[in-house]
Amino acid sequence: MIRFILRRLLAAAPTLLAVLTVVFLIVRVIPGDPALVILGDQATPEAINALRARLGLDRPLHEQYVSFLLTALSGDLGQSMVSGKPVIEELVAVLPHTIDLTLASLLLGVVLGVPCGIWAALHRNRFIDYAVRIVSLLGLSFPVFVSGIFLLIAFALTWRLFPVIGTADLNDWGDRLHKLVLPTIALGSVMAAYIARVTRSSMLQSLSEDYIRTARAKGVPWRVVVWRHGLRNALLPVVTVVGLYLGILIGNSVLTEIVFNRPGLGRVVVAALTQRDYTMLQGLLVIYCFLIVVVNLLTDLAYGFIDPRVKHG
Amino acid sequence: MTSTRTASRTGLAALALAAALAVAGSANAQPRTMLNVGMAAQDISRLDPHYSTTTIDKVVVGWMFSGLVRFRPGSISPAEIEPDLAERWESSPDGKTWTFHLRRGVQFHRNFGEVTAEDIVFSLTKAADARRSGFAADYRAFEAVEVVDPYTVRIRLKEVVPSLLGLVTNYHGGNIVSRRAVEQLGDRFLREPVGTGPFQVTEHRARQSLELAAHEGYFRGRPQIQRVSYRFIPSDASRDLAYQNGEIDLIYGRQDQSWANRMKALPNTSVMVFDPAELGLLHMNITRAPLNDIRVRQAIAHAANREELIQFHGVDVSRAGTGLLPRGYLGGIEVGAVPHNIERARQLLREAGFPNGLTIKTITTQLPSMLATMQVVQAQLRRAGITLDMEVVEHATFHAQIRQDLSPIVFYSAARFPVADTWLTQMFHSRSIVKTPTAVTNFSHCGMADAEIDAARVETNPQRQLELWATAQRKLAEAVCAVPLREGLQIWARRNSVELGYQLNGAMSLGPLLTEQTRFR
Repeated sequence: MIRFILRRLLAAAPTLLAVLTVVFLIVRVIPGDPALVILGDQATPEAINALRARLGLDRPLHEQYVSFLLTALSGDLGQSMVSGKPVIEELVAVLPHTIDLTLASLLLGVVLGVPCGIWAALHRNRFIDYAVRIVSLLGLSFPVFVSGIFLLIAFALTWRLFPVIGTADLNDWGDRLHKLVLPTIALGSVMAAYIARVTRSSMLQSLSEDYIRTARAKGVPWRVVVWRHGLRNALLPVVTVVGLYLGILIGNSVLTEIVFNRPGLGRVVVAALTQRDYTMLQGLLVIYCFLIVVVNLLTDLAYGFIDPRVKHG
Repeated sequence: MTSTRTASRTGLAALALAAALAVAGSANAQPRTMLNVGMAAQDISRLDPHYSTTTIDKVVVGWMFSGLVRFRPGSISPAEIEPDLAERWESSPDGKTWTFHLRRGVQFHRNFGEVTAEDIVFSLTKAADARRSGFAADYRAFEAVEVVDPYTVRIRLKEVVPSLLGLVTNYHGGNIVSRRAVEQLGDRFLREPVGTGPFQVTEHRARQSLELAAHEGYFRGRPQIQRVSYRFIPSDASRDLAYQNGEIDLIYGRQDQSWANRMKALPNTSVMVFDPAELGLLHMNITRAPLNDIRVRQAIAHAANREELIQFHGVDVSRAGTGLLPRGYLGGIEVGAVPHNIERARQLLREAGFPNGLTIKTITTQLPSMLATMQVVQAQLRRAGITLDMEVVEHATFHAQIRQDLSPIVFYSAARFPVADTWLTQMFHSRSIVKTPTAVTNFSHCGMADAEIDAARVETNPQRQLELWATAQRKLAEAVCAVPLREGLQIWARRNSVELGYQLNGAMSLGPLLTEQTRFR
């Protein structure tokens, strides 16, 4: 198992290097000059050039690239071009908020989505199945900025159960959980809808397999057939989707963060893009890439637990 | 006996309840001292006032810094500039040497000591240095800033400037920073600046808020508001909901009539509309065909319909542009806003050899308010047979591309220091033509008024100076370098319980100034 993890991490190294290179080039291809954005529209070329020199943007591209790689490899993501603060410090300040939201949404998605999917599959083409399919379609169709505003109007403005401003005190777990409820419902319901649909179709496929028929013919109780044979086999695609979606979730939490006014990586991306903060963008994408690698690794490890036939050797 | 005891218990309970209510009542009667402000922002950028260029930063910089002089709170009129860190000043008869006498005992935030002439010299020198300031060009005329004694500063100029006081006011480079703090904090000064204003930074919560506290040693007296939470709420809808939910007291608004109407309908809310207005001009590159034909430029000017634009954006938040400068600027005159006349526009196009109309490419920002204006203008010009082929790009890209002279027509909306010289120099002096080594924002390539703009800058006779500026504007209007469209005003709302302590007509910091007098009723 440890060998497998090490091998996967080693295999991720070239991916990370490729990502670093692409990221470095992409942020510089976007039109717009960080110095001009920082100095504003009254800046003279003299002031712009002075700031470019100070930010190291006047150096040849290859020099900037080597310097970026060396700092990235040493674990230092540099300093934000806009705020002057270390990138890592800025990211670490918001990362817990993103992790909270992502994990809570994932949990809600799985807790709601998997049972609903199973339930729908077991009642195929009956009222429950239609209900789950329609509701999950609605969940997928409603953008977070619409469902989020509805949630805020209902739960914050009308019933005053939650605040509109969802920035929580990280040291206060009560506050942290309280302010997590509405964003989790908004983001988690999309996740639940997605998982429910995948679980349903995967479960339907699994239930139509020969081994299910064999088990039933042998007289195994239906409940056991569903849980032991049907669900276990149906879960593999669900785990794949959850793993994939987790990566998307981390990246797509931006709208949720904006609507519920939560800090998080998504908002950092938007600000860094608007301000052409190259170092911040680079740092962010490195973190994203790292998180995706970790999530994929965890997904692969989960396969082994769900299906013993999958060996990590 | 029992009933007596019960009665006395009941009486005691009643007394206790009454006392509790009285305490609660008195607690409720205590005015609040924490102000929550909702700003449309992801985060602050740079709070070093010499680098603060976004509205988000400028608003809060206005609460933290002082200049040698200041605009009277609530005003942006250069005529109402009053003493700030300097208690008095005098200038030499030729206007080239200015001496400022500082107040004694003014303290910087966070125990960074007393303001001395050394700090003023350091701060103004920094503001004038392109390596340490974004506003260095404003201080081109400075020859030297010198310490006369610990409480006296002398500024020597290479040439007379139209408003020296404007350069040392609490605006842009005129904001005074602590020398010791800048040197000690290094890059941290960008987020933890040290000034002398009524409020000081206590904490920056990334993507959440900037927390400020009253500067107890503020030289005008202890501020009545004790804490300010400047919250970054980028979503307009969420910000409005937070205001309605009582989570914020002062809210940045949208330049949109529907927003103003909605806020006005809320109980205990005042909508504040104030200067400086941002004047939107349609700059036309007079060196590129077909705009190098003045008849085409005149046709565009006649096709634009300002009244329609005002109706579109709302009468409370915008007003028609009446000249090439925003209204109220010292030296500005009403010229260049030609009447809307579609027939005349068509006739001019025919005369210019475009009987079937013409198509002009333009780059436009996707910033909603500016894009909306351009879409209306596009429809207006189409009525005259002019097709604007708009390429809509992200805002930072827009700025980069218009500075590379890639758009023959540029819709540009801005506010500047309210004296004609700044605006005319940046927008219409040949030194400021884009894609040149000294470029600022001259997109039209007009340079026919250079002589008057330069002469007015050093003219010591105020009447003559006004005449020179007026001549410059007439020349530029005659050449149809730009078409004035609309002026967008600043708009905020506040709870009626928040008393600013002054009449808000204008704020160079683009947000309501919080002073030592600001309080909750």
